[in-house]
Amino acid sequence: MEDEEEGEPNLHVFKASSSGKDNNNNNNGGQASVQGVKAQAWDPRTMLCNLSFMEQKIHELQGLVHLILGRNGQLQDEQQQLITADLTSIIIQLISTAGSLLPSVNMLSTTAPGSALFPFPREANNLASQTLNNGGASQELEDDAEEGENLPPGSYEIKQLEKEEILAPHTNFCTICGKGFKRDANLRMHMRGHGDQYKTPAALAKPPTKETLPGSDAPMLIKRYSCPFPGCKRNKDHKRFQPLKTILCVKNHYKRTHCDKSFTCSRCHTKKFSVIADLKTHEKHCGQNKWLCSCGTTFSRKDKLFGHIALFQGHTPAIPLEDTKPSAAASSQRGSSGCGNSNNNAAMVSFSLGSAANANQETSQPCVMDGKTSFEESFSPLSFDICNFGGFPRSIFDDSFQMLISSACGCSPINGGVGSVSDTSL
Amino acid sequence: MSHSILSALSEDLLVRVYGFLDPPCRKTWRLVSREFHRVDSLSRTSIRILRVEFLPALLFKHPNLSSLDLSVCPKLDDDVVLRIALDGAVSTSRLKSLNLSRATAVRARGLETLARLCRALERVDVSHCWAFGDREAAALSVAAGLRELKMDKCLSLSDVGLARIVVGCSKLNKISLKWCMEISDLGIDLLCKKCKDLKSLDVSYLKITNESVRSIALLPKLEVLEMVSCPLIDDAGLQYLENGSPSLKEIDVTRCDRVSSSSLISIVKGHPDLQHLKASHCISEISLSFLHNIKALKHLKTLWIDGARVSDSSLLTLSASCRALTELGVSRCVGVTDIGMMGLARNCSNLKALNLACCGFVTDAAISAVAQSCLNLESLQLESCHLITEKGLQSLGCYSKRLQELDLTDCDGVNDRGLEYISKCSNLLRLKLGLCANISDKGIFHIGSKCSKLLELDLYRCAGFGDDGLAAISRGCKSLNRLILSYWGELTDTGAEKIRQLEQLTHLELRGIKNITGTGLAAIARGCKKLAYLDLKQCENIDDSGFWALAYFSRNLRQINLCNCSVSDTALCMLMSNLSRVQDVDLVHLNRVTVEGFEFALRACCNRLKKLKLLAPLRFLLSSELLEVLHARGCRIRWD
Repeated sequence: MEDEEEGEPNLHVFKASSSGKDNNNNNNGGQASVQGVKAQAWDPRTMLCNLSFMEQKIHELQGLVHLILGRNGQLQDEQQQLITADLTSIIIQLISTAGSLLPSVNMLSTTAPGSALFPFPREANNLASQTLNNGGASQELEDDAEEGENLPPGSYEIKQLEKEEILAPHTNFCTICGKGFKRDANLRMHMRGHGDQYKTPAALAKPPTKETLPGSDAPMLIKRYSCPFPGCKRNKDHKRFQPLKTILCVKNHYKRTHCDKSFTCSRCHTKKFSVIADLKTHEKHCGQNKWLCSCGTTFSRKDKLFGHIALFQGHTPAIPLEDTKPSAAASSQRGSSGCGNSNNNAAMVSFSLGSAANANQETSQPCVMDGKTSFEESFSPLSFDICNFGGFPRSIFDDSFQMLISSACGCSPINGGVGSVSDTSL
Repeated sequence: MSHSILSALSEDLLVRVYGFLDPPCRKTWRLVSREFHRVDSLSRTSIRILRVEFLPALLFKHPNLSSLDLSVCPKLDDDVVLRIALDGAVSTSRLKSLNLSRATAVRARGLETLARLCRALERVDVSHCWAFGDREAAALSVAAGLRELKMDKCLSLSDVGLARIVVGCSKLNKISLKWCMEISDLGIDLLCKKCKDLKSLDVSYLKITNESVRSIALLPKLEVLEMVSCPLIDDAGLQYLENGSPSLKEIDVTRCDRVSSSSLISIVKGHPDLQHLKASHCISEISLSFLHNIKALKHLKTLWIDGARVSDSSLLTLSASCRALTELGVSRCVGVTDIGMMGLARNCSNLKALNLACCGFVTDAAISAVAQSCLNLESLQLESCHLITEKGLQSLGCYSKRLQELDLTDCDGVNDRGLEYISKCSNLLRLKLGLCANISDKGIFHIGSKCSKLLELDLYRCAGFGDDGLAAISRGCKSLNRLILSYWGELTDTGAEKIRQLEQLTHLELRGIKNITGTGLAAIARGCKKLAYLDLKQCENIDDSGFWALAYFSRNLRQINLCNCSVSDTALCMLMSNLSRVQDVDLVHLNRVTVEGFEFALRACCNRLKKLKLLAPLRFLLSSELLEVLHARGCRIRWD
């Protein structure tokens, strides 16, 4: 139970601890975006983003006015308000965008009364875009975004936990004995031991969260989390801030990116992790990445490796080391046995000369003869075929049979060779 | 006097004269004088090495070699290669072609050295190296300029090894992966992605699926595709080829069980220039639509449809449209009769090769028609055509003057008169008369006296003739190099004396001949010095004297079958230690040989054996060191 990190994390405990910061969260999104525009000198990307946003807004406004025109031009109060609000937001956006270009306008944008109109009236926007079906601009906007869910800044509430809270092993503590737990459910189970009042179904039930409270009919803002590490992309002050979705994400992100990797894999002793769950996942598959590329990348599947090789010029599959080991061991063994029996080696060299280098060659081609002796010598220590094995030197063995045959057949030596090679052994 | 005349010839002239000589003449040319020898050494471009001891010296003597054949050099191993590399005096930079077929003792280390040493290497053959695996492939991939690579039956080669070669040698335009059973779709896919210049690809017998065919279809320059017996490829796979590989000229889908004529039709539709279509034993019937599409192939030269149901009318339509046909395979085709064959003969007068094996309804009339109109006929297979008699053979003898190969195995109608007619085909090179029961000395005499160019003669289980016939053969067919006399009861030592006169003989099968003794074998061994293959299975009466002679004289013996022979311990040891080129030995059921005898004999030849057949119990009786050494040297043991 304790090890499982999945499942719904307990929100309300964190809420209690981080409630002190809630007051500045409401307008955070909007301010952050304005600050973002202000902070950077001149980012064409942001500029394009802003411009297309405004274009979209103007289109939507246009559509709304058209709609009103269709209803015989009767302008109701709420419609007028909507149009005014939209126009104001466009103006502010325009000013802030222009402000990023001109340092002198910066003052104006910061003093502009944007807070009343931020966050943008998103619901209205959506309505308009759906009715008019001009999805082109908004589509573009979304394609332009890098990753993630791409919530418009300000449409969600941002929370930021402190480092100590993130790294705390337990988040639920018993008020009686002080014992810590990772999950509140475990705490409630523990509490049963402290008295009968904790055993009632009400005490054991999951405490209602803010969302499920019937009284709060106001639409809840979506909650997103920020990493406390300054300069991190997941930190709310980053110019391309990517919020984290849950507290679990915060914890894992913080441990993975900003903490030491203290857990080492017990199998390969090379891979290190800061989150235990990651280590366990790795250990399950450690050693299975047998498909290795020459660039050092490993793959657990052969087809992935081959896809990688097909993609990159010059990359080749690496041959696993296991294959080389036996042969290398064998060759070293061979070498040592050859050195150990130097007597036999000598005998063997003489044999090779006797059988291989024949009289013709010696007389006719002295230079070749030189080559041949060195050739045979080099043959000796490593080539175990001629080398003795199992106790008897092959040279003696072979020679004895040569003699046997010559005496048995009683024939004069004949030239048995064909082609370019003549080969009388005696 | 002659010395002065020869010295008057300039070296340029000698080189020009030398250029016109054929290999046997070059051998004698070398012996004329020192100058002639020098010309030979300098002009020689290809060499086949038989004994590894002479390799460095020969490489040194012939500096202009471009082709080196080490396939029959059993003692070749890594150390020899390293030695040559260290020597430095040897120039191998011109070597373009290297044949390492069956050189199982050359492993990754040696191959890499060779690949680095021969910088201009373009063609490599490592077929039948069962130990050739991924590490060897990685070593070979150093040769970046490789164009042709033959890796048939490299049983240990996997996709990883192939990928190494494919990445290292991207200029490959011909590759053969026949019998490389570990290769899968992934390897083939990578091959097709990386080697875009590939012109010829052989993926026969691989367990590849339609995915591979999809990759293959993307090869822009592919001309030849061989995929014999790929059991997992079906019509859906071959459909990819319809619009792929635009320059395809030849395709072989023989024995692809799941392929039907519909996919062949789609291939034919996509490639109107197809020249060779080999689809034996995969289509069951020649349908009308298939015929209709085949008709569009105006350049079709080869068509194999063995095993299909072919009617006379379809054969007529086929021959009427594909008049360029030079090779037709219709063996085991049900429905082939004289009418169809006569029509074919009328239309396709360019026919050079015709396979009619097991077409039982074909009679003399068809053979006569073929002989009369197809004057270029070179090869005719008539195995088990029982209706053929001397009449058909008469017209063959009269008209088919270019006939080189004739297979009459199991034709009951062949008699002495028939052989007399055949003997008029004076260009005959290969003649198969196995299981023909009605021939006697007289018929063989005709063959022996007239077919002087004969290279191969198969007389398997021919009962009716004796030593006299053999005498005629040995007198007349001096260039014979392949003779099969298995289970021919009448052969005695006298006959063996006749065989002795066939000096060019390299392949001799004497299986099951009881009357031959040691004297006979000794005679053969003395006479046939070039003998490389000898089958003595169940020759029970050969005693040690014969084997001793064999051990002493037949130094070129490469493969020997001694099953059920009464060879003794000492004789076997002598054979194995003295036959320095022997690679492949069958030693099953040797009753007189003890375990120690086997141990000694195998120790004597363990550095050159590539293939060995032994009785299974010996696996536990032979010493483990011996088996290890055999394995390390790349020897494969079949336990019977």
